[in-house]
Amino acid sequence: MTTSLPTVIELLAKRLDVPADTIQAQTELEALGADSLAVIELIFDLEETFKIQLGDERPNLVKVQDIADHIDRYLADRAEAV
Amino acid sequence: MSSGRVVITGLGAVSALGAGARCNFERTLEGRSGIHLLELPGKHQRPGLPAAQIRYALPEAIPVSEQPLFDRNALLGWIAASEALGQSGLGALDQQEAAASGVFWGTGMGGASTVEAGYVDLFVEGKSRVRPMSVVAGMNNAAAAQIALRCQFKGSVNNYSSACVSSAQAIGEAYRHIHHGYAERVLAGGSEALLTYGVVSAWEALRVLAPSPAGHPERACRPFAQNRAGLVLGEAAAAVMLESLESAQRRGATILAELVGYGASNDSTHITKPDAGGQARAMAMALRQAGLAGHEIGYINAHGAGTAAGDLAETESIKQTFGADAGKLMVSSTKSMHGHTLGAAGALEFVLTVQTLMSGSVPPTAFLEQADPQCDLDYVALQARHGQAIGAAMSNSFAFGGSNVSLIVQRHG
Repeated sequence: MTTSLPTVIELLAKRLDVPADTIQAQTELEALGADSLAVIELIFDLEETFKIQLGDERPNLVKVQDIADHIDRYLADRAEAV
Repeated sequence: MSSGRVVITGLGAVSALGAGARCNFERTLEGRSGIHLLELPGKHQRPGLPAAQIRYALPEAIPVSEQPLFDRNALLGWIAASEALGQSGLGALDQQEAAASGVFWGTGMGGASTVEAGYVDLFVEGKSRVRPMSVVAGMNNAAAAQIALRCQFKGSVNNYSSACVSSAQAIGEAYRHIHHGYAERVLAGGSEALLTYGVVSAWEALRVLAPSPAGHPERACRPFAQNRAGLVLGEAAAAVMLESLESAQRRGATILAELVGYGASNDSTHITKPDAGGQARAMAMALRQAGLAGHEIGYINAHGAGTAAGDLAETESIKQTFGADAGKLMVSSTKSMHGHTLGAAGALEFVLTVQTLMSGSVPPTAFLEQADPQCDLDYVALQARHGQAIGAAMSNSFAFGGSNVSLIVQRHG
């Protein structure tokens, strides 16, 4: 199964201007200084990167892995649709 | 008991002339122009059009992670505001002090480039959506809000949007706010960053923009000159830290000058054509508030945008206000060098006026080789004048929509 985690980490590092190796799957977003607006921006960038469009659901995103999981669900749905 | 007196303890400015209030002032004294041919990002250009565009790398004022929240307008605003805050020496505030601290900010078009980028995404690129921070970065009060957030000022945070008087109005209203005891201090000023293809095209359609003299775009803005050709758009931000006299004295701050007069009026005659009577009412109101007679003003930083209608109206309104003393006044338009920075203009020119008062050095009206015969005041043509004893100075700002603002500063101490 495709995982978006490396891309999530890469884009998050770029957006927050921190080294990518300081971000792990279990790192909490709040600890990185990523507030709700930063997460909205990040998801927009991920949508552009993966050419997907997320729905209106509001998942509880606490850790970096939560974002990757959220994106991965859409990537999986797209793969099934193909 | 507060005296109601309002003093200035910090200045900040960023414009095509450079970053820093002092830098801007020194460049105007040198008669240097920040005007070049406009270079817009992207393929859409207005070739041959002069503009006072900031072309140097801006100071790093905002963390990378917060940059999506900032339009260029708010970025310029924070650069100027943080300079004024720094110069004031104001440290951390307790809750009570924070609640007595406000931000009064002016801008004509706020986050113009953010709004335009959204339209490009939707209508040109054919995308179905825009960047998520388009509202937060594009809203007109974004600069005011970001400044308050960063300063942790928790009193009134007001945004003024009255075209070219926006930031002069913000400073004047901040003065009244402190004068009447609603706050101890206000970071006041304004910013404008609307050099985008769409906005510049709109101004060009109004047929008020000066063309570039052959090979010399830097000489495009020539207020009060016989060969004037219109205004030159610019981008900038400027700020002043205003405080009650008691607040400044309590913390031992260096007082740069005292803001003693604010006059405001509206022509109510025409949406764009200036009216000498309306302008004179603003100047007279500022003088009354200051308790000063006309002969006590040594210098006026004119609105002086470089249009025929504007130059003639302001020359006439100064004569109406000052009578026989008008001929003794030094009047200059620094727009000849930093362009017309619209919503930021009042604050930028006020910051220059304060430094003129403090230093006794008067910036010239650059490129004024031959005055319009109908403009017969002393416009400090071409060369700065040093060693002038100036007790009080006025800064004029007039706007489309008929709004007029005059501010008067006086030496302190």
